[in-house]
Amino acid sequence: MTKDKSILNDQAMDELFAQARASTVEPSPDFMARLMADIDVVQTELQAEPEAPTESVGLLRGIWDMLGGWAGSGSLAAAAVAGLWVGIAQPDSLQSVTDTLWSDSESVSVFATTLDVWGEG
Amino acid sequence: MDMALDQYAQAPDGALLVAFANGDSNAARVLATRLTPNALGQAYRMLQDRAEAEDVVQEAMLRLWKQAPDWRQGEAQVSTWLYRVVANLCTDRLRRRKRSASLDEIAEPVDDTPSVTATMQTNARMQALSDALASLPERQAQAVALRHLEGLGNPEIAQVMDISVEAVESLTARGKRALAKILAGRKAELGFEE
Repeated sequence: MTKDKSILNDQAMDELFAQARASTVEPSPDFMARLMADIDVVQTELQAEPEAPTESVGLLRGIWDMLGGWAGSGSLAAAAVAGLWVGIAQPDSLQSVTDTLWSDSESVSVFATTLDVWGEG
Repeated sequence: MDMALDQYAQAPDGALLVAFANGDSNAARVLATRLTPNALGQAYRMLQDRAEAEDVVQEAMLRLWKQAPDWRQGEAQVSTWLYRVVANLCTDRLRRRKRSASLDEIAEPVDDTPSVTATMQTNARMQALSDALASLPERQAQAVALRHLEGLGNPEIAQVMDISVEAVESLTARGKRALAKILAGRKAELGFEE
């Protein structure tokens, strides 16, 4: 069997890993004291969190929620864009819209017919 | 309300974490005492530097306490979560180490005179292994460390890394082979000459 010089063999790797698994350090009292101090700091922060929101933030949040939050903001934005378009659109465009909408009513001429009837009378 | 003393010892990790979130700091002290030795050992085996290992574990434990209010019991083991966070923080450190020094510049082995002790050679080997881990892609380094330095099984590593067992097998195989290649050039200085 030929030996591959470009690679550490399995036996050496296993020996290396076994030594690594055996290497460790124990937590020192100082280190444990640091960890315990962190616990107190975080606990204090956690206890303080429920009081954090101020009245103004609560009011803004209330309005935001009333508008539907992020989901509602999509519809609101769409409505705002539509309104803007109506506001800045050229009169010609609007005219064509109203023509389309009202053209049928022009051909009815109920009032004119009534006048004729009255004229005959 | 705090638990009775004997209840702390019997409580699962997740229950202690929830108790901490509910205001019981003693529960976190018990949990820290329970988890820290293994977490520190894991970090030390990857980094081979006590101060760095302590920094990593302190950061990991801080993250654990801060997300305690969102912890969902039964969804994950605290120990699995901690393995993952420590492994991630260690590979972050290794990456920075890799950037700050080339492999040739780090972990200079002790000389090979007869006075070199076995302990010194072991230290040199461990440092070389840690530096070689720094040269691997992050996920390979994590998988190799969890498998060969921590002795975890592939299914447990899969949980820690949130990947399939097959992916673990692939990562550990490629990672181990890459390590063997990196360390091959230093056989003699590490005492592996045939």
